[in-house]
Amino acid sequence: MNAILNLLINGLSTGLLIFLLASGLTLIFGLMSVLNFAHGGFFVWGAFVWVWLFSATGNFFISVVGAIGIGMLIGFIFEKTLIRPVYGNHIRQLLVTLGGMLVLVELIRMIWGSNPIRAGLPVWLDGSIQLGGVVLIKYRLFVILVGLIIYGLIMLLLKKTKIGMIIRAGVDNREMVQALGINIKAVFSMVFILGAGIAALGGTLLAPYSGIIFADMGLQYAILAFIVVIIGGLGSVRGAALASIIVGLAGAFTAFYYPDLSLAVNMLLLIFVLLLRPKGLFGEKG
Amino acid sequence: MLKVDNLETYIEQFHILQGVTFEVRKGMITVLFGRNGAGKTTTLRTIMGYYPIANGTVRYNDEVLNNLPTHLIARKGIGYVPEDQGIFPSLTVGETLVLAQREKNKETEEKLTWMLELFPDLKKFWQKRSGLLSGGQKQMLAIARAFINSDGLLLIDEPSKGLSPLMVEKLMEAILQMKEKTTILLVEQNYFMASEIGDYFYIMDDGKIVHGGLMDELKEDAELSMKYLGVS
Amino acid sequence: MLAAKLNRIYGYSGVIILLLLLIFPFTNDSRSMLILLTQVFIFGIFAMSYDLLLGYTGIVSFGHCLFFGIGAYSTGLVLNTFATSISMFFLGICLGFLLATVVSYIIGMLSLRLQSHFYAMLTLGFSELFLVIAEKWRSVTHGGDGFTFRAPAFLQDRLFVYFFALASMVMIFILLRLFTNSSIGKVLRAISQNEARVQALGFTVLHYKVIASIVAGIIASYSGALYAITLRFVDPSVFSIEMTLDALLMTMIGGVGTLIGPILGSGVVEFLQHYLSQLGSQFPIFERWTLFLGLLYIVVILGFPKGIVGMFQELSKRDVKESKNYRKSA
Ligand SMILES: Nc1ncnc2c1ncn2[C@@H]1O[C@H](COP(=O)(O)OP(=O)(O)OP(=O)(O)O)[C@@H](O)[C@H]1O
Ligand SMILES: [Mg+2]
Repeated sequence: MNAILNLLINGLSTGLLIFLLASGLTLIFGLMSVLNFAHGGFFVWGAFVWVWLFSATGNFFISVVGAIGIGMLIGFIFEKTLIRPVYGNHIRQLLVTLGGMLVLVELIRMIWGSNPIRAGLPVWLDGSIQLGGVVLIKYRLFVILVGLIIYGLIMLLLKKTKIGMIIRAGVDNREMVQALGINIKAVFSMVFILGAGIAALGGTLLAPYSGIIFADMGLQYAILAFIVVIIGGLGSVRGAALASIIVGLAGAFTAFYYPDLSLAVNMLLLIFVLLLRPKGLFGEKG
Repeated sequence: MLKVDNLETYIEQFHILQGVTFEVRKGMITVLFGRNGAGKTTTLRTIMGYYPIANGTVRYNDEVLNNLPTHLIARKGIGYVPEDQGIFPSLTVGETLVLAQREKNKETEEKLTWMLELFPDLKKFWQKRSGLLSGGQKQMLAIARAFINSDGLLLIDEPSKGLSPLMVEKLMEAILQMKEKTTILLVEQNYFMASEIGDYFYIMDDGKIVHGGLMDELKEDAELSMKYLGVS
Repeated sequence: MLAAKLNRIYGYSGVIILLLLLIFPFTNDSRSMLILLTQVFIFGIFAMSYDLLLGYTGIVSFGHCLFFGIGAYSTGLVLNTFATSISMFFLGICLGFLLATVVSYIIGMLSLRLQSHFYAMLTLGFSELFLVIAEKWRSVTHGGDGFTFRAPAFLQDRLFVYFFALASMVMIFILLRLFTNSSIGKVLRAISQNEARVQALGFTVLHYKVIASIVAGIIASYSGALYAITLRFVDPSVFSIEMTLDALLMTMIGGVGTLIGPILGSGVVEFLQHYLSQLGSQFPIFERWTLFLGLLYIVVILGFPKGIVGMFQELSKRDVKESKNYRKSA
């Protein structure tokens, strides 16, 4: 019982971390049909900047805000220089953002070196709590909490605000949104930067979670993000959330029960979805 | 009010519009006829800025619209109802219409209220997701959205497409009423309906305007309407 | 007129370069240069196989190293496990072909009917999977440290390997030339330009794409086999994303959809890597040469999407136009 509960919490917290990564990716695809392979790059940058700021200031919140800020700044530069010139061409998008990813990761190596870096944890989030005989790790609960809050905020933004309505309308029919006098490219830039910020937040949460960060993480998470977004259905935030949690739980349980399988489990899930529902769980665009 | 002069458009390498010239007069309904593939939709889309203009000019209230991005063209006051209605399936009827009011003010509120009077179905299904509406309701939604968003001119592409005769009649009636408040450029295949409500007409063929004039003249000219529109 | 002349000049310079490459080993005894050129040939083959996908069919792969690695491991493992003989060398290559065919068939059938990113992600995912297998399945692959093996005697001679790689590259260039000009090749090109139209004409686009993917996989696995032979060593790095990036970089820089471009690109990238990493020992900033390659790659995609060869082609086209104008005004 204890084990299963802990596995559930592990899976859920990993899943919500992945969701932070995937939400921006799925939105920018849905809105402008832009494939950004470098999204994982924002995520690692978030992790590194957080560790760096946290070791310098010792203040958790300042470090998180700083990391998100840098993530958004990188997103801003990225969108202006790499994404704008290749609108409407998936192949060039994949190619150019792959190059962007390479540069982002190399820059990390240049600044922080190639070796893995240890990530600390604020004292108040360290350790575990006892709940009726079950030991729960505090930080994981914290990650779940933050993940759920962000999910709620994104949903609120999409459902209740005018800009959210524009985003949803844009995912449905981009041309028609323009015909209503709305500058969709400006909206898209905003969403892109916001997505980069959320990914960076995911990175900051990941750093203390895994305890060790390294530059190549970027690629691993870029792949993971794409897998999740494809499983969830490109453009669907709800789909991305569900897929993230499925991937997180599947990873946690297989790692425990069939450790040999755990590395393949994401690929198997992806293949499964490609076979049964290539549009993904909630996808409308194939 | 809208003057299109010698307009040429390429889609990829194809020369689709080959010098289209016509004029839409203020307060009137101008109907653009033409058989399938004549280039009517392409004309509207070029006016809206979806295709780059290879040659010629589009003038709206004496202002050249060439090379403006679509959203700025729309902000000049031109509303667009595309051939496929272009609704937002995941938005509710209400959300769509609120989105169409770029700003919420007395004027757009009045427009919204009037549209809901004209199309009571939209009021009834205010909470419904647009994707679930019937074809006719979608068409009403698209027209209401364009009207609320626009200020002076509506471009409507084949509103009668795929609708029952009764529904077509209802729509045409509504369009006639809207004429009181806005100028309309209407693309239609349905000659009998359009000739009832139109003031001026143009006929397009193979990317060019081949005829134009007062609708009453067309009605009397059996030869012309036979030749291009297949009616007698 | 001018274009024809220019094309002839390009043709001649190709032949001259080939001749120079043939006599090079006899005029120069720099071992490192010989090895470097051999690398250029091998990666030229690898990049050509990538070009068949990207340039001729419009398929993006992010895991092309998958097939390179399959070729390298098949050859290395067969030679290591069984006898060190020519027949085993061929058996290893054939095993690589077989595996490459099966894997590319499966990936292709799964993803090539969908949008471009599915194939890209699936190949990437598979290559990561193979990387993990190579690292974890120690009893067979010897894990992360890799293993050395003995090559048949004739393949231990650097000079022979040099010529073998050069001949392979030329052969494969010719074969791919024939393939891309065949009726299948023409359909592939049409697909890369407008897939929907080809489908509408009644071709089963999926089959053609899968064929391209299999052919590219087989050729990549061949280049992997050669790579293993030159090093007489295999480790999981053959499955790393850097390998894929190399192929991508070479194809883009040289000129996508030209076959000769990837070979040129291979030369440029290999020499650049060589010199930049040498510079790195003096100026630490050049240690991060991957960064420079990455930036170069971005500049090429955004600014010169047709690469070096494309630029030359533009040049000759412009000359044609100018000569036409000239005639008009004359
Ligand atoms: N995206 C496109 N690519 C290539 N050709 C196109 C494209 N869109 C339209 N065309 C061509 O342009 C011509 C005009 O098309 P258009 O849609 O403007 O005709 P239309 O008058 O609106 O016809 P209909 O009454 O059938 O709607 C047609 O021959 C069509 O095949
Ligand atoms: Mg039309």
